Amino acid sequence: MSEQTETATPAESTDTAGLLDRWDALRERESFSILGAIAFVIVFPMIFTNLPAYNGYMSLVELIYIWAIFAIGFDLLLGYTGLLSFGHAVFWGGSAYAAGLFSANIYGEPLLMVLVATVTAIVLALIIGVLSLRRGGIYFAILTLAFGQMMYFLALGPLGEITGGEDGFTGVTIEPLLGSIGLGREFAGILGTLLHDISYVLFAGFFVLAVAAAVRIVRSPYGAIFQAIAENEQRVRFLGLNVWRYKLVAFVLSGAFAGVAGGLHTIHAQYVAVGSLYWITSGDIVIITVLGGVGSIFGPVAGAMAFLYVENIVSGEIAFWLLVLGALFVTVVWLFPAGLWGIVDGIRSTVRGQLSGDDS
Amino acid sequence: MLLETEGLTKQFGELTAVDEVNLQLQEGDSLSIIGPNGAGKSTTVNLITGLLNPTEGTVQYRGEDITGQEPHEIVQQGLSKSFQTASIFPDLTVERNAIVASLGAEHGSFSLNFFKRLAGYDEVAERARRTLEDMGLYEQRDIKAKSLPYGDKRRLEMALALASNPDLLFLDEPTAGMSPDETDDTVDLIERIKEERGVTIVLIEHDMEIIFRVSDRIAVLNRGAKIADGTPDEIRGDPDVQEAYLGGVEI
Repeated sequence: MSEQTETATPAESTDTAGLLDRWDALRERESFSILGAIAFVIVFPMIFTNLPAYNGYMSLVELIYIWAIFAIGFDLLLGYTGLLSFGHAVFWGGSAYAAGLFSANIYGEPLLMVLVATVTAIVLALIIGVLSLRRGGIYFAILTLAFGQMMYFLALGPLGEITGGEDGFTGVTIEPLLGSIGLGREFAGILGTLLHDISYVLFAGFFVLAVAAAVRIVRSPYGAIFQAIAENEQRVRFLGLNVWRYKLVAFVLSGAFAGVAGGLHTIHAQYVAVGSLYWITSGDIVIITVLGGVGSIFGPVAGAMAFLYVENIVSGEIAFWLLVLGALFVTVVWLFPAGLWGIVDGIRSTVRGQLSGDDS
Repeated sequence: MLLETEGLTKQFGELTAVDEVNLQLQEGDSLSIIGPNGAGKSTTVNLITGLLNPTEGTVQYRGEDITGQEPHEIVQQGLSKSFQTASIFPDLTVERNAIVASLGAEHGSFSLNFFKRLAGYDEVAERARRTLEDMGLYEQRDIKAKSLPYGDKRRLEMALALASNPDLLFLDEPTAGMSPDETDDTVDLIERIKEERGVTIVLIEHDMEIIFRVSDRIAVLNRGAKIADGTPDEIRGDPDVQEAYLGGVEI
């Protein structure tokens, strides 16, 4: 119980209650999350690149958005539908190669590359989903892992002529956006401060779109059914719902997000490493999502931020950064099973409780 | 004929769990399936509702063969099931529970609407509200289902099964683990469902008092086989039943 509420006159506390109700109603709005994402992409780089020590850089900010898109989609599957895939590198790496090959052989327009990457991931997800989803739990995880490794060795060996094998794919050629706007073109004045350059708008724009799409999916009938499947699959079946198909859609949707991210990554790195198909990548996305907090939209974003920060910044200062990452992961999962976002959520509801005087 | 099974058999390896069971059920009938533990009652229901595939035999619903169909296909035809344990969505609110059930009832087994707002589905919200009101759970709609008292959980479970307005409802030991008061309420509820909604009910139950109160007919299973089928009075006087089920004790 805060002193503030104790000393508040009745009129004041009604005011607070009214404000809080309005705040709650606002938070319920879909546009709230989208505006939040927009505010985030404007503010985040300002803070992140200007930390007093161990500060980040713009290219890393963009990389965080790309991984965040991947993680948001992965969480639709893991957090909402309760399915652990251990082979999502297929969609990330597969789409990255598709975008790279498309840019080298046909046309390197960034939006088209993302489109090609997404379609590739959707097709792969449909095939692997149909083959893996017949089994549940650990069998599903192992099947997706096996398909992932098959793709990795395929890219490494038999398809080495096309993919560049162990060296990765180096032929990526990026054209200007829509054929005329160079990705490096910088904005002037206030726009420059807020949005930096065209490439930033591209990556941040896709990040905001991914948040908007995920929020809409979670609030559609699918969101309710995904959560119900995670909690009690058999009951959903006995409500007359085709669980298998809903799971397949969850799998394909998460594959599509991975495809967008994979395509963007090719644009960002102008290179595709064969490691993008390796099982470690599949593990990374599991760690990012769990670290950030499953079952929310912004949890995976927080996970991507923490993971990439440790991987790219802390690693420059400390040789055994993987140990730092491991310690961070264990600590968070131990103390806060709801992940980094769970901590934020906890603080928010405590403050909310204090303000409304719920505990009085 | 609403439901008819012919020679329904299920073998698990060497064990014959259900042995050529024939059941007939007319619309409006109230059938109870009784028998000692391990008699194959639940397995029989699981064969009918699609959770298990029979080794042999057929299930016909309204003259149509539904043998081996998936549970969701069978539910969509109007045959619903309430589970022995409160099979609900514990971490969703009571209202969300009813909404998921209403989605299944209003929009069939699958639809591609992952980009439409759930809040815009008025008929789903309306059906969820009616279902909860009917079960006396509307006041508790905003709390998580796992916080409900046990009796209310079972009621929510039944609400989920009833949201689709089934013509035939299987109730697997609906009063198991309930206090005498809760049991009384549940039996009242079952009678009300029968009368108000005209649902045909098949009950699996141990409690003889309940069985005689709600059933028009009783089928007795023993070691997977049906050994008797008749009115409560006929079953009461059947020497086979007394021998097999009650060890010769008078009911």
